[in-house]
Amino acid sequence: MEAIGNIVSLLFFPGGLFVIFAGLMYEWLDHKIIARSQNRIGPRWFQPIADAIKLLTKEEIVPDGVNPVLFAILPLIALAGALTAALYVPMAGLKPAYSFAGDLIVTVYMLSLLTLSIGLAGANAKERFSLVGSTRALTQLFAYEAPFLLALLGPAIAAGSWQISEIVAYTETHTWMMILQPIGFVVALIGLMGKLELPPFDSPEAETEIVAGALTEYSGRGLAIFHLGKGAELIIGLTLITAFYMGGVSNPVWFLVKTVGLLAVLAALQSLMTRLRIDQTVGMWWRYGALLVLLQWLIIVVVQLV
Amino acid sequence: MKIATMFSDVVGSFWKKPATVQYPFERVEAPTRLRGKLEWDPEKCTGCSLCSKDCPADAIEIITIDKKAKRFVMQYHMDRCTYCAQCIESCRFSCIEMSDEQWELAATSKVPFEVSYGREEDLAEALAKFALADTVETE
Amino acid sequence: MMLEMTQKEEKFIIPIGPQHPALKEPGHFEFAVDGELVTDATVRLGYVHRGIEKGAEARNWNQNLYLVERICGICSHIHAFTYARGVERLAEVEVPPRAQAIRVLVAELERIHSHMLWFGVAAHEAGFDTLFMFSWRDRETIMDILEGLTGNRVNYSANVLGGVKFDVTDEHRKTILEAVDFMEKRTKHYLNVVTTDAMFLQRTRGIGVANLQQAHRLGILGPTARASGVKRDVRVDAPYSAYKQFPIKMVVETAGDLEARFVVRLKELFESYRLIREILNNMPEGDLQVKRFPRRIKPGEVISRVEAPRGEVFYYIRSNGGEMPERLKVRTPTMMNMASVLAMAVGHQLADMPMLLVGIDPCFSCNDRGVAICNSKGDHDQWTWERLRQHGIDFYAEKV
Ligand code: SF4
Ligand code: SF4
Repeated sequence: MEAIGNIVSLLFFPGGLFVIFAGLMYEWLDHKIIARSQNRIGPRWFQPIADAIKLLTKEEIVPDGVNPVLFAILPLIALAGALTAALYVPMAGLKPAYSFAGDLIVTVYMLSLLTLSIGLAGANAKERFSLVGSTRALTQLFAYEAPFLLALLGPAIAAGSWQISEIVAYTETHTWMMILQPIGFVVALIGLMGKLELPPFDSPEAETEIVAGALTEYSGRGLAIFHLGKGAELIIGLTLITAFYMGGVSNPVWFLVKTVGLLAVLAALQSLMTRLRIDQTVGMWWRYGALLVLLQWLIIVVVQLV
Repeated sequence: MKIATMFSDVVGSFWKKPATVQYPFERVEAPTRLRGKLEWDPEKCTGCSLCSKDCPADAIEIITIDKKAKRFVMQYHMDRCTYCAQCIESCRFSCIEMSDEQWELAATSKVPFEVSYGREEDLAEALAKFALADTVETE
Repeated sequence: MMLEMTQKEEKFIIPIGPQHPALKEPGHFEFAVDGELVTDATVRLGYVHRGIEKGAEARNWNQNLYLVERICGICSHIHAFTYARGVERLAEVEVPPRAQAIRVLVAELERIHSHMLWFGVAAHEAGFDTLFMFSWRDRETIMDILEGLTGNRVNYSANVLGGVKFDVTDEHRKTILEAVDFMEKRTKHYLNVVTTDAMFLQRTRGIGVANLQQAHRLGILGPTARASGVKRDVRVDAPYSAYKQFPIKMVVETAGDLEARFVVRLKELFESYRLIREILNNMPEGDLQVKRFPRRIKPGEVISRVEAPRGEVFYYIRSNGGEMPERLKVRTPTMMNMASVLAMAVGHQLADMPMLLVGIDPCFSCNDRGVAICNSKGDHDQWTWERLRQHGIDFYAEKV
């Protein structure tokens, strides 16, 4: 019985197909909201699915001079990382499939696998846009990663546990953390944008400078899998932040309402901002992001001591 | 120094109708001056050929059947036409007009682009004499 | 492969173009970078050379009107305007004042749509797609006006030799005035965005500065030059056509950076709005065309200059008394401004390159009118048609 449960949670829910599909839907919602905020109509609901299917069925071209094994395996690692992370978060408002002390750290690093794989994929290709793109992606990773993690640890400290299910149980019974720890919330939200390389942090894939960045040489299946991974990461990131900062996700309806609301905020932020240069991104994160989140920590510690 | 200066536009557009026109399903009426397909009136033509001489794209051929009886046929190569309306200006007898209705002229073969204008009997004669393109559109 | 080669030269070169998302037309730029810093820049143009000048020698005066209109898709009217003005001067024909006013009206409407187009593209290069979408949505009102007025959205074909093709009716007057009011409101808003939005200013303020001396030395033209404090505008320096009755004020900024280029272009729009209102309210009466324009033009030569949205357009026309020009020489502003991109690029971040490039509002196809063939040794020689053809045959024979 347990084996079947394991397989279901790995392949269908909450890992596997569910996350992939939900990720595509959230991606569509993101595009749609941005389009509407720009006074356009935007794509129809099946656009991301159609794109994914199209890419999956297309021929994959392996460029000269890359390591073919790495080339094929990196997208899979990225997707696997994201799907693994999905197992530890309260997906769709249900209890996480697996849970152990300190799984928060594992989840956040599983999510970073995607960026790491993208960076490696770019460095693997002997193509200049890819190289610049991967340098930028990795530079950006080092910029937002620490503040983002620290921001997620804020509620963890308040809850006195580094286990996602316990933190969620704590946030559900207390005032919304975004009111208690507003700085942490803002940093986490913007950190998520950096993680997903959404505007204004999209300089690793700035099309007007370096075409598609690290993924320039990817086509067909590899590209599709990277996209699926991104979609999965979007929904996991949203879940984590809603669970931690917006009063938890006690049932599927609340989950939907809160994550979509958060996505709308993300979309609005994206459409309001100009792309930052990579030096500006890094400067911003270390100058303001890290300091702000440390300030938040200080406040938390002081409040808890008093 | 402000941030989010486009805020009012972004929020406002959620309540506005999108500016997108979903073209084949939804049409905006073309203005009356739109330059579409040429239309030619054989009754007024004097066969001076100024229109074909001034056409920058070589899109007009005036075929003379009988100069005395003022019988001419116009072979209009729509695929070459740039819709510049110089022929209208060049013609002193206002034989040529441009349609504001026929402007969706794309086709998958070259055949519909060979248009012949003229009186029916002239066209028939021209066809016999000069072997015009088989698809003759009478007007 | 490429990487090894470039590493040997100890330079890491980022190519932009001929096919690149930042370029809407083909041009080739090579930026040598050190990390993200650009240390050297070169450009290669000529991908869209179309032989228009030579082609003009085989067409009659009327046909050329439409040929030159196709030099540039954005400023099509300006080219026809410049050409028509030159030919009319050569033929010693005086164009009726109403026709002149209509020509200037269309030219100013075209300037609005061209500047708005540039504005959107520049915003897109900066990664600010919302601004891009909104500015293009608003530009559509002007496109609709031009379509209603002239009958086409891009190649308006407003001119004939000796006048214009159409009149401006009261109805048009009303719709144009309405559109101009709307655009004025929007332009104010955009000016506010580009001068106050902190995120956007990070990408424009102090970037790509060309000071007055540099601007003079590089011979920059148009709004790019006026953003560096160069007082140069043909409409003011040598008023032509209806600009004599309807003078325009020159907009000059002194900062010389990208922000100044945004500001100059947007402020120019206000001048255009004012001028359009003035022309519509004081439209001279009279004919639209001269009665008869000669088919043969007496021998002579003429220079015609007009201020296009991107800067000065220069035509040299020579006639030998025939039905066709003997020589037509065109110089477009992009040619003059291109050198400034290379000069400004060094020392900036790679991420600034698309912005710098777009800052001059380049139009590649209008500046590609000559080709020089370089062999691998770098010396130039001229090829005959036969040799070129043979080269092509051999090249492909070798490949197969
Ligand atoms: S509209 Fe222009 S291109 Fe077309 S037939 Fe007339 S003159 Fe020729
Ligand atoms: S210019 Fe007019 S009259 Fe002369 S041939 Fe053409 S259509 Fe006939």
